[in-house]
Amino acid sequence: MRCRLSPKTAPYVFIAPFILVFCIFTAYPLIQSMFLSATQTYGPKSSTFVGMANFQYLLADPFFWKALKNTAIFAAASVFIQLPCALGLALLLNRSDLKGRAFMRLVFFSPSLVGLVFVAIIFGLIFEKRTGLLNVTAHRLMPTFNIDFPWLQEYVMPALIIASLWMYVGFNMVYFLAALQNVSKDLLEAAAVDGAGPWHRFWHITVPAIRPVATFVVLLSLIGSFQLFELPYILLGNSAGPENQGLTVVMYLYQTGFEIGDLGYASAIGWLIAILLGVFAVTQRLLAKGEE
Amino acid sequence: MKKILPYSVLLILALVTLVPFAYLLCASVKTNDDFFSALFLPAGDGLLGIAWDHITVGHYARLFTQMSFFRHIVNSFFFASVISVLATLCCAMGGYALAKFRFQGRAMVTNLVLIALIIPGALLLAPSYQLLFRLGLLDTLAGMILPALAPAFGVYLFRQAMISSVPNELLEAARIDGCGEVHLFFSIVLPLVRPMLGAFLLITFLGTWNNFIGPQIVLQTPERFPLAVAVAQLRGVYSQDYGLIMAGTMISIVPVLGLFLLLQKEFIAGLTSGAVKG
Amino acid sequence: MCIRPRRAYISLSLGAWIIIGIALVSTLVVLCWPIPQRRGLEFWVFSRTHADFYTPVIADWNRSAPADGVPEVNLLNISSDALCRRAMSGFLSNTPLADMMEIERSQIGQFFSGPVNDIGFTDLTDRLHKEGIDTALNEPSFGPWTSRGRVYGLPHDVHPVMLAYRADLVEAAGIDINQIETWDDFARIMKPMIQDFDGDGRPDRYLLNLWYTNPDSVEMMILQAGGNFFDAQDRLVVASETNARVLATLVSWCEGPNRIAADTPEFSASGNELRLKGFVVCSLMPDWLAGVWKSDLPKLGGKIKLRPLPTWTKGGCQTSVWGGTMLGIPKNTKDFSAAWNFVQRIYLSESVAKQLYQTTTIISPVKALWKSDFYDVPEPYFSGQAPGRLYINLAPQVPRRNSSPYNTLAKQRVLDATIALRQWAVANKTYERTALEPVAQKLLQEAQAQVQRQMNRNTFLTPGEAR
Repeated sequence: MRCRLSPKTAPYVFIAPFILVFCIFTAYPLIQSMFLSATQTYGPKSSTFVGMANFQYLLADPFFWKALKNTAIFAAASVFIQLPCALGLALLLNRSDLKGRAFMRLVFFSPSLVGLVFVAIIFGLIFEKRTGLLNVTAHRLMPTFNIDFPWLQEYVMPALIIASLWMYVGFNMVYFLAALQNVSKDLLEAAAVDGAGPWHRFWHITVPAIRPVATFVVLLSLIGSFQLFELPYILLGNSAGPENQGLTVVMYLYQTGFEIGDLGYASAIGWLIAILLGVFAVTQRLLAKGEE
Repeated sequence: MKKILPYSVLLILALVTLVPFAYLLCASVKTNDDFFSALFLPAGDGLLGIAWDHITVGHYARLFTQMSFFRHIVNSFFFASVISVLATLCCAMGGYALAKFRFQGRAMVTNLVLIALIIPGALLLAPSYQLLFRLGLLDTLAGMILPALAPAFGVYLFRQAMISSVPNELLEAARIDGCGEVHLFFSIVLPLVRPMLGAFLLITFLGTWNNFIGPQIVLQTPERFPLAVAVAQLRGVYSQDYGLIMAGTMISIVPVLGLFLLLQKEFIAGLTSGAVKG
Repeated sequence: MCIRPRRAYISLSLGAWIIIGIALVSTLVVLCWPIPQRRGLEFWVFSRTHADFYTPVIADWNRSAPADGVPEVNLLNISSDALCRRAMSGFLSNTPLADMMEIERSQIGQFFSGPVNDIGFTDLTDRLHKEGIDTALNEPSFGPWTSRGRVYGLPHDVHPVMLAYRADLVEAAGIDINQIETWDDFARIMKPMIQDFDGDGRPDRYLLNLWYTNPDSVEMMILQAGGNFFDAQDRLVVASETNARVLATLVSWCEGPNRIAADTPEFSASGNELRLKGFVVCSLMPDWLAGVWKSDLPKLGGKIKLRPLPTWTKGGCQTSVWGGTMLGIPKNTKDFSAAWNFVQRIYLSESVAKQLYQTTTIISPVKALWKSDFYDVPEPYFSGQAPGRLYINLAPQVPRRNSSPYNTLAKQRVLDATIALRQWAVANKTYERTALEPVAQKLLQEAQAQVQRQMNRNTFLTPGEAR
């Protein structure tokens, strides 16, 4: 290539595609949605400026708080159930003497390759009351288990957690696996020789070593959890489920915007979520900095 | 004993993980009558107690003959591969700029990238549809490709990868030797982040392959629909044609599975090269 | 001079090269593969069944189109969500729209939530009146598509609901089901059929497939009983006595000593298996569901019979309604008269109505066609009954529904109230209908308040405008 870019102008050229695409396709609609959130609109001719009314209503809206609660529970489950499972799997898989490790890795990772539509459909079938795979198997293993266990009628959140566990544990396991491979084996051996038990070794050597990966994975998990929408929506038959047990913040946004048609309110919801997440992210960063 | 326990646990978990796939495979070759009567394969008089004569490839045949699935497959390959190649390039460029240069506005752009990570996509659905319309990009290939060209997530990943894998001294040395910036980028920097390139290619390919919400509205002519939209369309309003849906899903899984097999090592190395030191 | 190290392209992995290769090849293919140009009218539908059904009709239309001097029609089947999203965007920001669109009952509300003049569909009221179509069709069918007195779509169907029962089981039990007039009679007379076959203490046969967590079932029952969520002026009437009575009855049917109902959901593997085993004797059956059963549950052929629903009060309504589709023509269509002709062909013609009935058991809303003989053909699936005639007999009684954009919201809040009522019943071990009614009333008042709050926010939709 004969183009002579000086080191001074090079960064601007390199960052240009991102800036262009971001400004046109993200920033502009974002600003538009900000204006939308302060109005009530129905068509180009009918638009009233309502100021903060949308936000006021939102803060008092019990369904928004229910959605937020559901999403928070799901996020907590992602971090405190899914990630330890992924870590556990990675630990199990980490032993280099295991044959067929690459195959196992593929098997555990494969659920994240399929689309959400498929996951929702198949888990819809798995969670059915009498003939669903889960109830049938559980009943066969433990005859006291209620074969009519109403997963999708009364235990929606656990059902969602199980489905997303299947989908994403392998993905997170891959991260942990590579991180574990970077833990110094000499250190572990030395500790073992010194008489440290497996738990002690794990807690004091392995955990600190995988800390950066763990933080990254936690962040990813949290962000992903807050975007949860299609899975419960399709699983519960295009609704939020009985008593809104499956209502997540993005689902509420979608329902308000596209089922009721109130785009202004939907934008307000979106902005409130973004603000909440932003506050959370900033606090997390400050805490992390504070620790250093 | 020590070896058997973890191995058997892993085996059990692996089998459990594979169950939905087994169900998928069986369901895609069952007739709709048999769909509800048997959990996996219909019972009968054949080998292993399975009614092999009830197995049908009719669903697959219908997908290809009546629903022009071949065209949808080509469309999916097109969108997924083009977007992943272009997006990887743009994000690598962006990440490189943020990681290895000091320029005005760098801090602001870095923060912009981080902020963009937390914006809920659904917030932008309605305004961006209108924007695409006003730009004349509705129902065009460009309308699908352009907005996906530089996801903030990618820029962030590449920034981390560049920070940890590209030593400044090497760049300085090359510059002193008179290397042009563009040439420097392609022949020195990119090879150093090769794992991340492979990883991000696969992530983006995967994400685009399975994406159906956006394409379903933006694309208006059915000849442009990718597989994901076509499969999503198979869902009925009340009742479902499960055989078709399962066959369609099988078709859409196979290419990505194959790709992952090829790119497995790269993928894992790449994902973690960014995260491990980041 | 710059050192020329190994070029970048050598160090990409095999997989990356494959992706790049795919990109190049597919780009070539996509750019060179021609897309058939479609001129003519665009017709969007959301149901594959409808799409399959209309294709031959459209083929006929297109064949004679050049001779008749009318544009061709192009059918596109997309999912209901996508269709509504495109429609809303088209109405509000002029993005491309079809010339004709089918909209489902549950989705129509969003198009009516603004000022009347901004409704994107053409106001068909005057044209329907001029051509006499408004009296030619079953009147209640216009309900969901009428906003503030104006009609915006042509109804596709009537969808009356009957009670489908396992004739083989009922006759074997020696019960004459035609003696039953009200739901109380039903619970009383059919009670002996609730039996425990395997001695595990849990009944293995219930009378009715109905569950309090199903919003459609709750709405169906409320409509049959004469209740509603909105009155004729679109005012909220969720907390009416009738509604409370229905909720209390439903909960008493699902819980407690007088339980007669079980949950065997439609369109599910478990539901179908239970139906085959005779776990429930009766189901609520709209005409389209009869068609679905014929194709999905062939094993029940010859065992099912239909009868009008038991009533809520003596002499009350014997049917309800579930689902519905309309066809709307957006205001800025290219060619209204061609579209209108086409719409009349597929919705009002006898040949299409005949095919519709024979493929899906759905009866046409056109009253003149009701005397056609194809509705009287006995069906072996229904033990020799002619479902068409039976549904047509009930068509005039079909309750008229509203078109409020808040209907779905009201339905969901009422469902929440039903679930809360059931929880109260279980917690207080009270299952008697009369005891539950006041609690239901209170819960419905809360539900009404919630929906009212949401409705009060809308500055455009003022209920009770020009009727």
